[in-house]
Amino acid sequence: MMSLWKYLALAALVGLTVGPAAAAGDADRGEGIHAQRCEVCHGEEGDGAGAGAERLNPPPRDFTMAQYKIKTTGFEDILPDDDDLFRVIRDGMPGTSMPGWSDMLSDQDMWDLIAYLKVLGELEEEEPGVPVDFTTQIASSEDSIAKGKPLFEDRCVECHGNEGKGDAAKSLRDDDGERTWPRNLTKPWTFRASDDPKDIFARVSVGIAGTQMPPFADPKSKKKLTVEERWHVANYTASLGAAGEPVNPENTVVKAARIDGEVPRTPDDPSWRDSVPTTFYLVPQIIAEERHFTPSNDTITLRAVYNETDIAFLLQWDDRTKSIPGDSQAEKISGPGLAEDSVAVQLPVEIPEGMVKPYFVMGDTARPVNLWQWNSGTTDAPETVTLVNGRGIDNIEERDAAKAGVGANGSWRDGTWSVVMTRPLATAEPDADLQFVEGKFIPIAFAAWDGSNGETATKYTMTTWYWLLLAPEAGARPYVVALVVMLLVAAGLLWWARSAARRAGQAEG
Amino acid sequence: MPRLPKLLQAVLAVAVVYLGFVVVFDFALGQPIPKSLMIMFMFFVVIGVLMVFTFTEDGTRELVAPIRALVEDPAKKRLRNLVFVIVPLAAGALAFNQAQPSYEAPLELRAIHPAPPSSVELYDKRYDLLSLENPYRELETEDPEQFRELVAEGADVYIENCHFCHGDKLDGQGPYAQGLNPVPLSFQDLGTIAQLQESYLFWRIATGGPGLPDEAAPWISAMPVWQDFLSEDEIWKVILFLYDYTGHRPRSWEAE
Repeated sequence: MMSLWKYLALAALVGLTVGPAAAAGDADRGEGIHAQRCEVCHGEEGDGAGAGAERLNPPPRDFTMAQYKIKTTGFEDILPDDDDLFRVIRDGMPGTSMPGWSDMLSDQDMWDLIAYLKVLGELEEEEPGVPVDFTTQIASSEDSIAKGKPLFEDRCVECHGNEGKGDAAKSLRDDDGERTWPRNLTKPWTFRASDDPKDIFARVSVGIAGTQMPPFADPKSKKKLTVEERWHVANYTASLGAAGEPVNPENTVVKAARIDGEVPRTPDDPSWRDSVPTTFYLVPQIIAEERHFTPSNDTITLRAVYNETDIAFLLQWDDRTKSIPGDSQAEKISGPGLAEDSVAVQLPVEIPEGMVKPYFVMGDTARPVNLWQWNSGTTDAPETVTLVNGRGIDNIEERDAAKAGVGANGSWRDGTWSVVMTRPLATAEPDADLQFVEGKFIPIAFAAWDGSNGETATKYTMTTWYWLLLAPEAGARPYVVALVVMLLVAAGLLWWARSAARRAGQAEG
Repeated sequence: MPRLPKLLQAVLAVAVVYLGFVVVFDFALGQPIPKSLMIMFMFFVVIGVLMVFTFTEDGTRELVAPIRALVEDPAKKRLRNLVFVIVPLAAGALAFNQAQPSYEAPLELRAIHPAPPSSVELYDKRYDLLSLENPYRELETEDPEQFRELVAEGADVYIENCHFCHGDKLDGQGPYAQGLNPVPLSFQDLGTIAQLQESYLFWRIATGGPGLPDEAAPWISAMPVWQDFLSEDEIWKVILFLYDYTGHRPRSWEAE
């Protein structure tokens, strides 16, 4: 018992003198933790050359360069704040291979690591930087967002795009010459730090070291922004998050609504407005050769409607580049190897009875799948749609899309593709094509190719199997059922009361 | 303290179990039970409660007494009229909701660790899974230094191939995990590699999702067929790493 009290007293003393947020780190201990937890990615020497360096997207940080993306010190300071480093180690970086370590490392472990990082970056003698002053914060308001919008449109859209989807008008590279993609600001869950306006304010003020994101607090910059202007831009940027379609993991069903009249054949048809969107994650194909480790597309949003004869899907996904081979602007952004953008709907040829489905990566020999694929076209040829039956990723049979009635029409605007694909519910070849049926859960999957990111053939992003349901309108049935049940229950109760009363009467009589 | 009427006790018992499910699964675990499964559970709970409460004839009589009184006692006429309106209306509303088309996806139950075959053909060889052992395991005691090296090589294999789904920390939270269904397993979890033999891991890694038997739904597993990418040696080394990093011990015939 004594020892516990002693320990607590000591802890209180340490807390008072050092303060919880700035515990001194032991670089030697940090080196040991680095060897145990970090070096597999960041390399034995901490230079980012660990085993997975080639395949990690983005690549692991090179600590010897002493260049950190997430920092709240001034743009001229080399050293990030200790709390900046601590936070990245503790919480990780969303959308990267860097996990948060708070469940495996103690606070002291992390301070020790930070001490070691400073040794690696030869930063031990470096004066601590001047932290960004958050006390100037202007709370988000309609007024502030409205003031931020024109500033954003002037300073930011060249790289982040008109709607903030990261559709840069130029090819961006980091200091090492590696290709980088500007953040899609409508997807706050991919922000490496967070979408708190304070975080955005810090990035806008000091920039992101090593990338083409400049410091807008730099008084020498032609594009410099005042403190107030930077808060307005931060508030406007944070507001863009509302435009993104986040994934709801509970929602695994694409609901096709029944409509009267023709199914829509173009993305801007007003009849899409009433349909319910469903968004899924896209993951890179890393199951079969040749694998793809550096995807750029990350989610896809689906809508579907049908009528008596046809079904139509609207597929929408954020793709920073409109990849049209032959187009000089597209080739400038993409570099060599520009290919068409593409998207595919995958359906089983037969609706499975029971739970057995075709293999989710393009089917298997026993259970083939239909793939309807749309391609964005080149400057010489318009967009195309193809139909193949897959019996595995290397077992593809080309078929006649026109004969099966598969049609497609796509358009790209401000970093988003919108593609409509249509087909009659029934085709002339029921053995080779899925025949759509109302009211049945039909497995469905999707795939996308970004032609400006080297994605062709087996290099693409995909979803696992989800469900499609052609939901017939309920019509009068629920009302009739409810009425019948109500009458039956009421009649039963009355009969019970009656017979009870009669029995009571008999007993008295 | 006056005893609660039996009917109220029964209703309370069912309500407590239901709330228990909601608290544990929806709030504590954050994984709500699908509606269809919940209906099935609650059906059995109601049956169970009824069985307990109607175990004796007195009990049965006591349980239904308030209901009987409501229907048969002339003094309760006003309450009866009210109940006779509310009950059919409630039944109608329930039926109305049930008759609406459902968007709830079908349940897919699968075996996570299905029984392995007794032998398996890999790398153009036949392996007897009952006697197969990790050829490097004995170095753990015989040559710890070489063993550490092999573990480190296994770590490299893991980061280059496995962490994308199973996570840097082996917790099943890799950068692409959230896009997969079924979700990648966490090796930190006591229910995975801690329960298995190394030969089982060898089989699961080498043949991947497509090597699963039907009860484990091979068509949805995103686990690649690793014998196409990794050598036999690399698989044994990555297995060493999995146990070393998590601190779990492989199960073996001798130890039990």
